[in-house]
Amino acid sequence: MEKAATIVSLPVLEPSPGALLRRRVFGHAGLLIGCTVLSVIILIALFAPWIAPHDPFDQVLDRKLIPPVWSESAKATWIHPLGTDHFGRDYLSRLIWGARISLVIGFSAMLISGVIGTVLGVLAGFFGGRVDMVANFLITTRLSMPVVLVAIAVVSLVGSSLTVVIWVLGLLIWDRFAVVMRSATMQVRNLDFVAAAQALGCSTSRIVFTEILPNVANHLIVVATVEMAHAILLEAALSFLGLGVQPPEPSWGLMISEAKGLMFFDGWLIVIPGTALFALVLAINLLGDGVRDVTAPDGT
Amino acid sequence: MLAYLLKRLGVAILVALTVSLITFSMIYLSGDPAVALAGESATEEDIENIRRFYGYDRPILIQYLDWLARAVQGDFGQSHYLREPVARIIFERLPTTMWLGFLALTFALTLSVPLGVLAAIRPNSLVDRAALTIAVVGQAMPSFWFALTLMLWLGIYWRLLPITGTASWANFVMPAVALGYYVTPAVMRLTRAGMLEVLAADYIRTARAKGLRPMRVLFKHALRNAIIPVVSLAAVQFGFMLGGSIVIETIFAINGLGFLAWESIQRADLPMMQAIVLVLSVFYIVLTFLADMLNAWLDPRIRVV
Amino acid sequence: MRKGLLFGAAVLAASTWSATALAGRADDTMNWATDREVAIVDPYYNNTRELVVMGHLGWDALLFRNLDSGEFEPLLATSWTWVDNVTMDLVLREGVVFHDGSDFGAEDVAYTINHVSNPDSGVLTTSNVSWMKQAETLGPYKVRIHLHKPFPAALAYLSNAVFVVPEGHYDGAPTAADGKKDYGAVAPVGSGPYRFVESRPGEYVLWEKNESYFDGSPKGKPAIGNIRFRTIKEMNTQIAELLTGGLDWIWDVPKDQAERLSDMGSVTVENAKTMRVSYIAFDVDGDSGQTFFTDKRVRAAVAHAIDREALTRNMVGPASVVIHSACHPDQFACTQDVPRWDYDPDRAKQLLAEAGHADGFEFDIYAYRQREYTEAVIGDLAKVGIKAKLTYMQYRALRDLVWKGETPINHMTWGSSSIPDVSAITSHFFSGGRDDPAKDPEVVAWLAEGDTSTDPEARKAAYKKALTRISGELYWLPMFTYAKYYAFSMDLDFTPTSDEIPRFYAAKWK
Repeated sequence: MEKAATIVSLPVLEPSPGALLRRRVFGHAGLLIGCTVLSVIILIALFAPWIAPHDPFDQVLDRKLIPPVWSESAKATWIHPLGTDHFGRDYLSRLIWGARISLVIGFSAMLISGVIGTVLGVLAGFFGGRVDMVANFLITTRLSMPVVLVAIAVVSLVGSSLTVVIWVLGLLIWDRFAVVMRSATMQVRNLDFVAAAQALGCSTSRIVFTEILPNVANHLIVVATVEMAHAILLEAALSFLGLGVQPPEPSWGLMISEAKGLMFFDGWLIVIPGTALFALVLAINLLGDGVRDVTAPDGT
Repeated sequence: MLAYLLKRLGVAILVALTVSLITFSMIYLSGDPAVALAGESATEEDIENIRRFYGYDRPILIQYLDWLARAVQGDFGQSHYLREPVARIIFERLPTTMWLGFLALTFALTLSVPLGVLAAIRPNSLVDRAALTIAVVGQAMPSFWFALTLMLWLGIYWRLLPITGTASWANFVMPAVALGYYVTPAVMRLTRAGMLEVLAADYIRTARAKGLRPMRVLFKHALRNAIIPVVSLAAVQFGFMLGGSIVIETIFAINGLGFLAWESIQRADLPMMQAIVLVLSVFYIVLTFLADMLNAWLDPRIRVV
Repeated sequence: MRKGLLFGAAVLAASTWSATALAGRADDTMNWATDREVAIVDPYYNNTRELVVMGHLGWDALLFRNLDSGEFEPLLATSWTWVDNVTMDLVLREGVVFHDGSDFGAEDVAYTINHVSNPDSGVLTTSNVSWMKQAETLGPYKVRIHLHKPFPAALAYLSNAVFVVPEGHYDGAPTAADGKKDYGAVAPVGSGPYRFVESRPGEYVLWEKNESYFDGSPKGKPAIGNIRFRTIKEMNTQIAELLTGGLDWIWDVPKDQAERLSDMGSVTVENAKTMRVSYIAFDVDGDSGQTFFTDKRVRAAVAHAIDREALTRNMVGPASVVIHSACHPDQFACTQDVPRWDYDPDRAKQLLAEAGHADGFEFDIYAYRQREYTEAVIGDLAKVGIKAKLTYMQYRALRDLVWKGETPINHMTWGSSSIPDVSAITSHFFSGGRDDPAKDPEVVAWLAEGDTSTDPEARKAAYKKALTRISGELYWLPMFTYAKYYAFSMDLDFTPTSDEIPRFYAAKWK
């Protein structure tokens, strides 16, 4: 910190904005931890077929519920380092493959909601007036419907699958995108360079894509991380009620809810996927917080 | 002010109508309620009878208008399963959920507001980091896991609290904590941000410069201003909690609205599902409307918008 | 493991701690719970298992079926005779009093039967009562029942599903908003060993001992003072309450939890048979658009691929058995002497290759109950190269799809309302109706013969032909019988029965 102060005080060698950003990034522990953990989980997900020691779907009922290696039980074995689940499937392999599904859910739902929310928010913020009124109306309508209740009702009636879960969540959690993008766009819109671009006769879509979006991108990333974590946790809640991803696909949320039946007796069953999910959500949140701190003009 | 009020009111009513239309069609288009009513061992004939009995053979639009006209008068029809007026059942169970929501919110506020204030007084201190940790951790654990963990330790190992029921305040401690914990991060962040902003404002500096005692400045001047957005956030979160208590009520066997909603979804009790979604939505709409009015009253600039 | 030990220690410590002992033997109240909400306390207007259980608490039927001997014994009727195929005369017991103090007699039986058999009364499970046409009194304690057509299973239904209410019981029913009578809202009155006290939907139903229950009932005199049913949705919560004394009795405990509870030794855990069977129904006609299962070789491959023995052994419980015919072995005329499809994954692969699916294929499987059983089936199928995609839904939604013929394979269950007769399952599913995957005219004819014939041997012969065809052609792959785990307080003297109807009226404190 002191070092930074000395550099800044040098009158001629004012650091470039990029250098300032780099310094902020590397001085921000949360952001670094978040990035690292998330990268590791993404890598695990990408290389699941090569890392996983067993087929995550291979069930052998006669070898079910082997405890993990650190337990004192005689059944524990290094063949299944994290043990096996209630179908005799290798827990470590399911955890590794589960990273894929949980990330896919979080990412896809975030993407769907991001597109809806951003389009709505940018349009409302850019055009104002009637467009803003309609957007506001849609946002208020969406906000007034309880997410969990509506998600449960829809999924239970339509029948659940990975696709259904992603779409239902994606269609339900766009509100924050819309709200944040709307106000961010409004602020940017009133800045000089947008007015200048308009005066130069640039088309609206050009202005939106080249002037507005790049300038609200940091807000977008922050909301995106929040909603991604939100979607992953919502899927876990749906799984608790039996409405999440359908087995045998291993999502972390599903693994947690499958393990809840034995949590009073075999705690490791829920602690293992729970810790993984916890780390993932934590990493995403740290990343989001970090991005906000680093890109915020005053750094608070 | 009146024009603003009327405009907001109009929007609120329009939103309520839209929500009612969405819930009605969403729930109806998904399956045959007559099949559910008839139960597992029913014959085709039974189902046809039930369909006629409840009027499911009429056009959907007629059913909607009929339902809406009654709903406006407070008549949500009969529950198919409980065979009692839906409105009576809902208002029977609403107090339990309200009470739970209120306690959860109280817990969340007593935990998060002081932490938020402390974090703002000393940014980047140990307290700030601890508060941040609580906030982030709170967001990263599925609520049912947290709730069951509470039950395991407080209920079974240590036997400090009763596990189910609603007989006394002790019964509500675990559910309220489990529910309220998830509101904590948002409230804490807002309090912290609000306090930081206010503390940097000119009038606080002036007050300090005038030599007022720091505590007095903090509570009399700073917190009072910083808390306004928190109040409206709390109102909104309260609405969210009523909808989000499904999981918690299911775990702690609390016979409230969340539990009723889950039961009704499972047994395709159409009038009940429609009414619950509508009641919760309207509740939220009213809360946000009131929050809007409060803000407009406190901050005249908003009224112009 | 460490946690398990800690848990055991906590439970031991608990037995000396009494502050939460709200219930149980201390205040002579037996608390039991399921995950269902009971709003209507009437066995005719609530067709859940809970009301079957409470039906036998609060009401008496005309006959009593002795589970040990399989014979029917007198309950409210002391004797019964068939006048002809469709007419039955019953002599009734004297001196029985309803909970409201009124005397029991022929008028009450006639009223009950005439009310419930009338389609306008809206009884939920019509098949329980629709076989009766009407009843008339022949004297103060003599009554005659007329049937629509010969119905061999009549005694089973009379002992299990027809509970007697006092004359005029439903007359005061309030009128619902839709202008129909709301019979379910009538306060429950019966003559059974327990008397209804009060209930709160979603919370509890409380019963108290009927002190004036008649001597000589095959049900015996009730011993426990109060019986309270509670609704607790979450199994973990039920277990937590059982361990801390808030509950005395639960069932439907999953096998793994039940075994661990049993290991702890602080509660009694038992596994008992039920009348429910699990089956897989194939889309034999190809209506679903996925036509793999129109080929019998593919159906046979599925049958050979599933290790039903391992499934029952590891997942269901010791009281479960693998079945080979489309009925429960305890049901009348349910022979297991039908074509069998034993576990043989190599044969399954060979059959798939013969059918042109050497590389396997992908299809949709539908289920609604005990998802883990269906998951195990999917795991077995995956090993022979068939990828099954599970759609797990609520019963009503799935049944809709089944009726429309949209499920290539559905893995479902049937409990036969605990009626110990093949007509309650095989005839229900294979008589050509919406549930029938094959609509095989010969099967339909054989079942009709079995359903209406009064000669037991002729019935058995007819049903056997149908069951042989169903299993031989694999319209269904019968899977296994369900077994239920019961867990209850060490203080409770309770014996599980094989028909999924716990006899709480016969339970005692130790």
